[in-house]
Amino acid sequence: MKRVLDYIVENRVLFLLVLFVALFVVFAVSVPGFFTFYNLTNMTQYGVELGLLALAEMLVILSGGGGIDLSVGSMLTIVAMIIGVLIGRVGLNPSLSILLGLFAGAGMGYLNGVLVSYTGILPFIVTLASLYIYKSLALIIAVDPRFGPNPMPVSNFPESFYFVGQYRIAGIPFQVLCIFIPVILLLWLLLEKSIFGRYLYGVGSNEKAALFSGINVCRVRVTVYTLSGILSALSGWIITSRIASARPDIGTGYELQAITIAVLGGVSIKGGEGSIGGVVLGIAIITLLYNGMQLAGIHQIWQLGSLGVVLVGSVLLNQVLLARRKI
Amino acid sequence: MTNTGFRKVLRRREFTVLGLIVLLVVLFSLTTERFMSVSNLSNLLLQLAGTAISAIGMTMVIITGGIDVSVGSTLGMASVVAGKLLVGGYSPFLVLLSALGTGLVIGLFNGTLIAFGNVPPIIVTLGMMSILRSLMYQLLGGRWISGIPPAIRVIGLGKWLGVPISMWITVVLIAFFTYFLSSRPLGRAIYAVGNNPEAARVSGIDLRRTTLFVYAVLGALAGFAGLVYVARTGIVQTNTGSGFELEVIAAVVLGGTSILGGRGTIIGSLLGAFLVGIIKNGMVLLNVPALSEGLVVGVLIILSVMIDVIRARGERS
Repeated sequence: MKRVLDYIVENRVLFLLVLFVALFVVFAVSVPGFFTFYNLTNMTQYGVELGLLALAEMLVILSGGGGIDLSVGSMLTIVAMIIGVLIGRVGLNPSLSILLGLFAGAGMGYLNGVLVSYTGILPFIVTLASLYIYKSLALIIAVDPRFGPNPMPVSNFPESFYFVGQYRIAGIPFQVLCIFIPVILLLWLLLEKSIFGRYLYGVGSNEKAALFSGINVCRVRVTVYTLSGILSALSGWIITSRIASARPDIGTGYELQAITIAVLGGVSIKGGEGSIGGVVLGIAIITLLYNGMQLAGIHQIWQLGSLGVVLVGSVLLNQVLLARRKI
Repeated sequence: MTNTGFRKVLRRREFTVLGLIVLLVVLFSLTTERFMSVSNLSNLLLQLAGTAISAIGMTMVIITGGIDVSVGSTLGMASVVAGKLLVGGYSPFLVLLSALGTGLVIGLFNGTLIAFGNVPPIIVTLGMMSILRSLMYQLLGGRWISGIPPAIRVIGLGKWLGVPISMWITVVLIAFFTYFLSSRPLGRAIYAVGNNPEAARVSGIDLRRTTLFVYAVLGALAGFAGLVYVARTGIVQTNTGSGFELEVIAAVVLGGTSILGGRGTIIGSLLGAFLVGIIKNGMVLLNVPALSEGLVVGVLIILSVMIDVIRARGERS
């Protein structure tokens, strides 16, 4: 028994899996309406948007050197506004607008990456600055000169635009089946099966050693920040489609939730350590928790609080068990 | 000798920030009529006090190599407690103690988990931030607190010799903590812990006690900033203080405190807070749309840090 416990503590993914199953069982037994096909599929819809941002944080934090991306929420917002304004106000073709939005996300992420890698400014500072810059740009884009100087949301989308966020295939939400799962698979291949993945872990765990073994550290970092921009852009597109509105304040506060989930998933804030399996479980646990609490009639304001308790509690429990094992 | 001493001053990060501040002050006083007016300047100081007070504690936390992203929520929580008690008609002294106490308890809680639970600071304070925000919603029940009695608002709005009382308090706190950091054993220990924890431990510094201390002080200061906030604005909302953490961290980092620990001064953080405050203020006076405020602040953060990096490279080569 003690050995099993030790094994679980040592293996973060297993620890999270146990936590996930325990939560699932508790909700299935005690919350009516939880264990139904409709609820279980419906809840995944909400996990996607935050989940994509958490995956973005995972990549950036893994790259080490104090890697963190505080600007994901702002990039999400600005992409939502670009897509909204291009479709709703300029009247551009929706597919083209979405493509431009995704390119904008990649561009903003690339800019973060270049600043982090080539100027030597710490990621925390670069992305704190770009959090302000991108948020401000989103507000400026949202101003419609015809209706005065204030930023305005855009909501006049064509029916076809709602497909991504609101439709289902065989009962499963479109964005889960056709975006989220493919993204997870691609990232898994990238991290576990590609040379780039090995480079990334190398750069994250020991930058000097990576440099001396001929890895282009700068290029690896620029790539992860660019990917972070693209993932945030995807999230911005999906959220706009789901709520049928592009709002200039939509991504505020997401960055800290996304970091929280990545860290809960076992990504070490020092870089080079963590797996996609852990982060996906982290996303699943938080989605489950939000949904179960909502169905149990606990007010929505406790979602944030529960996120905090789970984060601190799980890491603390892990540390305490580890410390006890060492004695 | 004096020549090298002078160069040393020139090379300091604080000097870059001070130079930028002087430049901006000249620029704004030439381009706007109102910038140099007494009412505008004291207004500027009023708004800066809360940030500057919290930045004192944040500087110490970051010097130890830590971070606290829960200051905004701590400020919010303390302002909820202070607001409720004030509206309930309790004595200002009791309110002051409870605002300080609220912050102190939160800081002690953070510090205990970090120092004794071995949980990384970013995790503890991210968690704390979310938990406090939920608690604030619960306590306020979606309503605002307003109708703060005028007597207490002196702390936030009153002036002595033309300078806001909150700024006087800030100056006293900064003087005290600057002395503390540079001359007291525990103050020096804070730098030692940030520079090289192992060496600090071997030389007899109690790492845990030092860590607990900085988070507790930051908590108490953020609690006090909460009271100043209530006194200045007269309103407490559920989102009071959200985003404040980034403002404080930006001020500290702009002021030259290294996010890696071991290096930084409180005066630098004060200058950082001033820089951001002056930009915001000047842009309002210049009628630059408020929307682009973040744009300018963000670009400025990158530029000012870049100047440092380039200069450091120049020195090395």
